[in-house]
Amino acid sequence: MMFRIGVDVGGTYTDLVATDEAGRTVFAKSPSTPADQSIGVMAGLDELARRLNVTRAAMLAATDRLVHGTTVATNALLERKGAKVALLTTAGHRDVIEMREGLKPDRYDLRSPPPEPLVPRERRFGVRERLKADGEVLIPLDPGSLDDAIAGIEKSGATSVAVCFLHSYLDPVHELAAVARLAQALPGVSISRSSDVLPQIKEYERVSTTIVNACVEPVVRRYLTNLETRLGEAGFRGSLFVVLSHGGMAPVEEAARLAAGTVLSGPAGGMSGGRRCAELVGIPDLVPFDMGGTSTDISLISGGQASLSADGMLAGQRIALRSLDIASIAAGGGSIASVDAGRTLRVGPESAGAVPGPACYGNGGQAATVTDANVVLGYLDAAAFMGGRRPLDRAAAEAAIDRVADAMSLSRIEAAAGICRMINLNMADGIRLMTLRRGVDPRKFALLSFGGAAGLHAAEVARELEIRRIIVPTVASVLSAWGMLTSDLRYEVSRTHYGAGARITAGEVRGLFSQLEQQAAGRLRSWFKGPIAIERSAEMRYGEQIFEIDVSLDGLDWNAADLVDRIEHHFHARHEELYTYASPGQEVVFVNARVAAVGKVPRLDSDMKPAPSSQACVPRGRRQAFLGGWRELPVYALDDLRPGQTLAGPAIIEAETTTVLVDAGDRVTVNALGWLDIELR
Amino acid sequence: MSATVDPITRSVVQHRLSSIVKEMGEAMLRTSYSQILNSSRDFSLAICDTGGRLIAQADHLPVHVGALPWATLAVEQRFKDVAPGDVILLNDPYHGGSHLPDLTAFVPVFAGGRRLLWTIVRAHQSDIGGATHGAYNPAATEIYQEGLRVPPIKLYEAGKLRDDLLDLLALNIRNPREFRGDLAAMLGAAQLGERRLARLFSEFGAPVVEAAMEAILDATEQQTRAVVSTWKDGVFHGEAFLDDDGHGRSDIRIAAKVTKNGSDVEVDLSQSDPQSTSFVNSSHANMQAAVAMAFAYLIDAEIPKNSGALRPLKVIARQGTVVWADPGRPVTLCTSHPSNEIVEAIVKALSASCPERAMAGWSRRFRIAIQGEDPRTGRNFIWHLFQARPGGGASSGGDGWSSIGEWHSVGGLKFGSLEVAEARFPLHFRHHEFRAGSGGDGQFRGGLGVALDLVLETEKPAKGNTAGDGARHGPCGMLGGEDGKPHHYRLLSEGRAPRVLRTKEVGIELRPGDCLEIRSSGGGGWGPPAKRSEQARRRDREQGLIDAAAERLSE
Repeated sequence: MMFRIGVDVGGTYTDLVATDEAGRTVFAKSPSTPADQSIGVMAGLDELARRLNVTRAAMLAATDRLVHGTTVATNALLERKGAKVALLTTAGHRDVIEMREGLKPDRYDLRSPPPEPLVPRERRFGVRERLKADGEVLIPLDPGSLDDAIAGIEKSGATSVAVCFLHSYLDPVHELAAVARLAQALPGVSISRSSDVLPQIKEYERVSTTIVNACVEPVVRRYLTNLETRLGEAGFRGSLFVVLSHGGMAPVEEAARLAAGTVLSGPAGGMSGGRRCAELVGIPDLVPFDMGGTSTDISLISGGQASLSADGMLAGQRIALRSLDIASIAAGGGSIASVDAGRTLRVGPESAGAVPGPACYGNGGQAATVTDANVVLGYLDAAAFMGGRRPLDRAAAEAAIDRVADAMSLSRIEAAAGICRMINLNMADGIRLMTLRRGVDPRKFALLSFGGAAGLHAAEVARELEIRRIIVPTVASVLSAWGMLTSDLRYEVSRTHYGAGARITAGEVRGLFSQLEQQAAGRLRSWFKGPIAIERSAEMRYGEQIFEIDVSLDGLDWNAADLVDRIEHHFHARHEELYTYASPGQEVVFVNARVAAVGKVPRLDSDMKPAPSSQACVPRGRRQAFLGGWRELPVYALDDLRPGQTLAGPAIIEAETTTVLVDAGDRVTVNALGWLDIELR
Repeated sequence: MSATVDPITRSVVQHRLSSIVKEMGEAMLRTSYSQILNSSRDFSLAICDTGGRLIAQADHLPVHVGALPWATLAVEQRFKDVAPGDVILLNDPYHGGSHLPDLTAFVPVFAGGRRLLWTIVRAHQSDIGGATHGAYNPAATEIYQEGLRVPPIKLYEAGKLRDDLLDLLALNIRNPREFRGDLAAMLGAAQLGERRLARLFSEFGAPVVEAAMEAILDATEQQTRAVVSTWKDGVFHGEAFLDDDGHGRSDIRIAAKVTKNGSDVEVDLSQSDPQSTSFVNSSHANMQAAVAMAFAYLIDAEIPKNSGALRPLKVIARQGTVVWADPGRPVTLCTSHPSNEIVEAIVKALSASCPERAMAGWSRRFRIAIQGEDPRTGRNFIWHLFQARPGGGASSGGDGWSSIGEWHSVGGLKFGSLEVAEARFPLHFRHHEFRAGSGGDGQFRGGLGVALDLVLETEKPAKGNTAGDGARHGPCGMLGGEDGKPHHYRLLSEGRAPRVLRTKEVGIELRPGDCLEIRSSGGGGWGPPAKRSEQARRRDREQGLIDAAAERLSE
């Protein structure tokens, strides 16, 4: 027997999924251990083995691949517990990260002080050197000023150094020389070089991304090395891969090198899962909707594909590596309801988090949260929460909701229903903005509901967006870990083209891409023996614009004489799709070439196909819930439902870690996989 | 308005309205054509009712938003017969506009056959015709020299484009393609808002939405009054000065007499200096917007910025003064100057009433535009200075933001990448770092301006124009804090003596290799310098933020 294992470490739980060649899939959940995530991972593997009825050593010995989503980099950034970083940059340009291109959020808040940059000014060192915009050396790297800077870095106590010079994306000569000298002088420090991390024009993006990389690299490397050792000691002989923010996976060494590319490691697994769901249910246009305790992650799968974006921002830091386009909204089960001085109800962005958590958790939380509202409305069964392992305190929920109700002179039920209404609006807005940005109409999408809190809110969110269909997979609670098992290996490279105002030629295009292809495929080949596919894209803009759009160049005839015309044609078409118009007469500027080498990993057919049934569904019980008025609703257990069965709302469907609310008039069909396919009225 | 509305429905409607303007903004950002819109974001969106009341707005440029009710009133006054599918445009400062580059589009929203709202998009055009590119013309002595004037006109009638009118507009503008692209984006955003509002009306019914809007304005008013009533009562005075008008007058005074009584605030600007012959005058709508902006900065950030929030505010001004010019006067500079000075005078006055809220001075705007030939392509280029953003003012909340902008933009303008600028223009950004010592000292220090040394890499001479203010008067210190250092720009040219650039110059001769030594102003300090903590001073020294010896980088 050969296993593949997916492990997704979240804020609260570590989710694990194992599949074998026969398609058997087993899940396990285990508490996360934030101080050292590998402890929770090893404990989770114990639990997984128990569910497989084998020893952990036997399971690991029979595992050829373990795919891991980690939040180590994310947490290091959010909690500012990364390395102490110094910046080595072009003299006269030390303040790029602190200038933030002149932007500040919250236009009417003029009394909040500016945020502390990740690298304070005294650890930002200028070196005398300069390239020009065409890559020519204007000022050669001055060894004296470099040595002064290195002495300053040593004195500062920095343990990691970001090296980023102006225009280094055209020629890394000065960065390489500086790195060599630095490595020689300070052998103990980690080094992140901008021409390696993100060799692209735009200094704010490049310097910020390189600094983030320098900040998290030592932490990620330490963690992954440690995990690899523990796994080895426990008998694992297969390959450990880490899911990167772009949705592909890479071996440990590569994930550590480009540690800034792991900040969306976990959610990226969710996207892989979403894409797999789209395939399995045959719906190419899906909105993955992952609502948890403190936040909701939303994204789009359009035409079966998840799109990538380089607009990333995390914990106030700009990370311009390409990553899956996932928007995180501060809305979840723990979102706190409050009434402002104008007696307007607000829900979020503050969250009660896991500690103290919603009032109904009984951990001393006083604030009224979305989960408390769900208890008051009868949607959540206080006694059966988390399979009865963690019963909820209904009285505490009622008391918390009453405080909101009193402040607005409303009844308890009105307040609770209002809280749900507001949180649903928040999430629908997030989805609407996301679809608007991508130039697509949400009405033709189906909502893919997963994450613990999604099932109670999916129907209302969908209705708000005029979405007519919701899919709830049985793997909903561990979708990210499950999705990781379907990730491919991926290595991305990019390069900026400088054209001095002249149009790029077909020869230049071919030369640029063939170099990048060799580089990407060569690197991937060192980890992977299977067939390699190449994806090409370009970032282009109209002459007068300042931001570029990413245009896929797959399917082009690279030998065509009019190659550049064809590329520009793709650009105009994509521009029109995104922004409603194209300007075919206008100058088009080719900015960055991108190549991804993808190693397709054969998939195990990991999907259970439960036996169908033609019997009517039988509820396990009934309970009172509020749907505009109190009604007694049938309560079904998800585990009892069989393919082919149907049921009509209003109803509640419960699983161990999630509850689904079906409105009156909505119809549920259990599909061949045992998943819920809900058609809204 | 007899329908009553429960607080949840009101909360839901309020949320919807604000998400609609947000979506309009997103659509605008994504579809606009010119750099000033899609990168620098110089546009604003709003929903007003037919009485000109501001119902909702998105966080864009504060100086636009307070002016939109006046623009709406001008439209209402001109057109009694508005039909579904109409689109109305205006820019004229003497017909509800602020200054000519700010073109504004209005789309009416109907429900049940009644016209209830307008969705409004205001966007700064990169050109609007007139004597100089981009409308900033320091030489102008009448509005006709500033650009094309557009009173309220119907660009669409019942869904039908009047293309003869569009041709007329486009013909008068230097870059008609960009103009048409941006206009299409504006209309797209306004129409998106209209569709979303129509759905809101059909979901709840017009009477409920109308009642909710009344309730929202009332609630916002209450919230604002609750804040204002905590301020000290009294009559307070504040003043601020424009450096000059470029036509021989200097130290032009903006005077604010502010009477705070209970939860009411009356701002009287009527003692401000007489109007100027040049473009430093304000239009009426822009003056109103500047007063609203000052007030909005002083109340809580969380209070929705709609007409309810402005109800406690009464504005008195006199036509013929620099804050409210007579018809026909040039006004293009007004969204920055005298807007910045109006805000500063009011905040200064109220610092005696609500000292914890009064922030020290944010900076003034000092533009440079360069026109020349790029030797790499042989093509002409026009470049506008957005880099070297000046500093923000300190406040009771802490030190000011560095490199962040002026009173009227407050961190809303993005300057973009220097690498891209060097690739696109024959310019070398030799040095672009914080300007040490520029932030006003105080218990909390003003944010820093920027020191930029910019070298011209053309092969032929180029021309420069400036437009702005604040080279004489730095952003004001507050409550014992010191003023920020004013702007200081010099032209260093081989064979010519270094020369300080004035803020209102036309046709500056720039030679290849010339260096513009740009030192933008720092923000004002807050509170007495003696109260600044030793720790904060040590941090300033460690970070090299107060070493005035770093001033002269070019020497």
